[in-house]
Amino acid sequence: MNTSLPETAAAPRRAFFAGASIFLTATGFVLLLRSYSGQPVFWPDYIVIAFFPFLFGQISVGFILALFGFFDQLRGGDPLNVMRRPWREKEESVPLAATAIVIPVYNEEVQRVSHGIANMWRSLEQTGQIEHFDFYLCSDSNDADHWIEEECAWLHLCQKLNAFGKIFYRKRRHAINGKSGNVADFCRRWGKRYRYMIVLDADSIMSGPAMVRLVRAMEANPEVGILQTQPRMVLGRSLFRRALQFSNRIYGKVFTQGCSLAQMSSGSYWGHNAIIRIAPFMEYCDLPLLPVPNPGKRHVLSHDTVEAALMQRAGYDVWIAYEETGTYEEMPPNLTSLLKRDRRWCAGNLQHFWFLFARNIQMGNRLQIWIGLMSYLCSPFWLMLLIAGSFGAYDRARFLTFSADPEDLGAPKNSDALLLFILTLILLFVPRLLGILSTLPSVRLFGGFSRFLLSAILETLLSVIIAPVLMLFHSLFVILTLLGWQISWTTQDRTDSNLPFSHCLTLYGWQSILGILGQTLALFYLGLDSYWLMPIFAGWILAPVTAWVTSWHSLGQKLRSHELFLIPEESQPPPELQGLDDDGNSETQSSSSLWPQALLCPYIQALHLSMVRLRSLSHNSEEKTASSLIELRERLIREGPSALKPKEKLRLLWDAETVFRLYQELWSRPETELHPSWIQLQSESSKNPLLTYLITL
Amino acid sequence: MNTPPISSDEQATWNQAYDRLQNFFSTFALGDHSQVSHLTLKLLDQVRELHRQDSSCHPTTMAMEQAQKNLIEWLAANLEAPDKAPSQIFASGCIALLLSRMLNANPTAFLACPPPDNLRHLLRQTLLVTGPDLKVSSMTPRHLDYGPMLALAKQTWHRWNTKAALIALLFWTGVYFVFYWWLSDLL
Repeated sequence: MNTSLPETAAAPRRAFFAGASIFLTATGFVLLLRSYSGQPVFWPDYIVIAFFPFLFGQISVGFILALFGFFDQLRGGDPLNVMRRPWREKEESVPLAATAIVIPVYNEEVQRVSHGIANMWRSLEQTGQIEHFDFYLCSDSNDADHWIEEECAWLHLCQKLNAFGKIFYRKRRHAINGKSGNVADFCRRWGKRYRYMIVLDADSIMSGPAMVRLVRAMEANPEVGILQTQPRMVLGRSLFRRALQFSNRIYGKVFTQGCSLAQMSSGSYWGHNAIIRIAPFMEYCDLPLLPVPNPGKRHVLSHDTVEAALMQRAGYDVWIAYEETGTYEEMPPNLTSLLKRDRRWCAGNLQHFWFLFARNIQMGNRLQIWIGLMSYLCSPFWLMLLIAGSFGAYDRARFLTFSADPEDLGAPKNSDALLLFILTLILLFVPRLLGILSTLPSVRLFGGFSRFLLSAILETLLSVIIAPVLMLFHSLFVILTLLGWQISWTTQDRTDSNLPFSHCLTLYGWQSILGILGQTLALFYLGLDSYWLMPIFAGWILAPVTAWVTSWHSLGQKLRSHELFLIPEESQPPPELQGLDDDGNSETQSSSSLWPQALLCPYIQALHLSMVRLRSLSHNSEEKTASSLIELRERLIREGPSALKPKEKLRLLWDAETVFRLYQELWSRPETELHPSWIQLQSESSKNPLLTYLITL
Repeated sequence: MNTPPISSDEQATWNQAYDRLQNFFSTFALGDHSQVSHLTLKLLDQVRELHRQDSSCHPTTMAMEQAQKNLIEWLAANLEAPDKAPSQIFASGCIALLLSRMLNANPTAFLACPPPDNLRHLLRQTLLVTGPDLKVSSMTPRHLDYGPMLALAKQTWHRWNTKAALIALLFWTGVYFVFYWWLSDLL
């Protein structure tokens, strides 16, 4: 084990990081205080002074991380990083170990997930190491159509890839504790069979060579508990997603590399596209319950950061393999989807407050938790600062107007305010500049220098317009979370679909009204002094249009044809992403419901019975004959599939004997005893897309 | 042989039975429409005979029950699993039929007595593995000391009263504004 070297190197790096961040924050704070000297201080100014250090500290940390990352890129990477150690010289000789690739899904687009697994399988096959890997599709889907489609997709995959006994499907009856519960369920059942697991999201893709390399890295470095890769955002079609993936590609790496350089073995875990050593994970990383009075809110929503902290508490390292290629994920396709995701993340990150002061958590983890907390708390803080700053400016203007000798009494220290303004701009925009500079060597893959530069400018403008919108929503999320509104684990929308304008107007219209009102008041009370608020009001006023236009698939494609927002995966698509962005990807796409086919089609029924049989025969034998189940069955026959509620459908589908009985009765009852929809479904059953999918390879 | 004339209602019920059988056999994706029609007509003849002996049952019900019975018996014979429950025989048999892909190549083998040897062999050797053998182990959270924040929070929870807190907040906000405007006017 070679733990001593990174630990001795970590201290000066972290000291420099912390020192530089504190120095910058202190400089900004002093400049702010000096800008008030010689002029009256009003009550809103105290709010500005109170919130300023937190906010300036946050942008200082970002700036220092970007500097770290840029420096690391200039010197060619961190030699102490786990992926750059001497084992790489004899990489091929490092043996592999049994590894499970765990893919938790929850009402996802089944064909996309299945296609992704097929691509990863083929990529692994080409490495010649497929025998060391098994795939687990772990479903928590609570929609009957998704469930049946997942079963068919699994069988189709196994047939197509000849992967029986290598690709497994598991459906949980009770989706306790969301994704972390799903992964823990895998660990409890099959964890002992494997030394490692590679955890993926439903939209994650990893190449075979990358997975093989990660396993070898873990084998060669037994002190590493989690090795996180930096997934590249790909497959965007809407303008929003393409702009996000472009920005992630340009600026993300600088920040991640900076984080890795500062954190070293106390790295982050993001919950997917990472390899985990299963034994310590099972022993030390099961999530503790939160010490809150309400039992329904004790589950940790955002598990990854906590799991990384627990892994390090147990003495294992967590590293970021930031240079690893062949690791991908997708971004939310539009602003609304991003906000949905952010609402979940916000609730999760705020929960982490509990771990901030927990005992035996390493300082690096506390810092991560703090940064995560601040990434959402910053929004209400900024909002407060803006409001208080505006009131302060108004009070000051009023004071100067009524003052007898304004030149002497209230002349602001313009030089300090100007310096602070310049420093803020530097902290905000230099990281972007560093990202652009670090991308220049590979600018050809981004459409050439001029298109790359134009894309970077457009992306900056877009982020300036969107930032105020996010600020308002994030503030709202923080308030809702603090008020204790329950956040459910919703499916992430991964499809590029245009948002209807009516939706944008409903969801973002209030921001437009707020923007118009704010701008009018600011002009009325502050006059031209309110110029600095204009970008914020403009963002709010334009919010519905921004959300609508950026969701356009056609605009994203048009810009792609002009090589704008181009990323290397678009100019040179890697084989593991092939076919994943096809419109015709959904082989089982159907306007009608899919789950009734499990009651009519013999093959789909047989497959489903094989999946649920063990459980339903061994549990609740009385329930099978329970009158409520019989009543439900009769209602389904008489009133058709749409008569049942989602939970009722699931209840029926979980009972193997009921499913089989329904198959018999739906086919044998005369038309007078069946709802007309069943007659229609029977006549279409031989042509149903799931059956076609199953029998076609 | 003279068959007695049948009423239009009766004709309709037999047509319904025919359609149902046709749809039922089509779901096995035999790929050969004539074979589907052949199986349908053959079974319908059997059922007509049975219906003459017992006309209390609806032809559709009778035809479909007979079709399902034939199917289960045929699968049980091929799988050599007479003791299993019908649902289990059905599940194993249909999965085996699907995975063997025999019916697409040889649709006449479906429900054939005796079935071709290669089909029987393929059906018996097909086994669906949905998951590997369980290696059940425990994964339980370890105790985590949440530190001073928990002690502080516990005190707050014990004493916290939302109504009282809101009244206090409103009161002090009011006091603040009264004083602020009063002092602003004075100064």
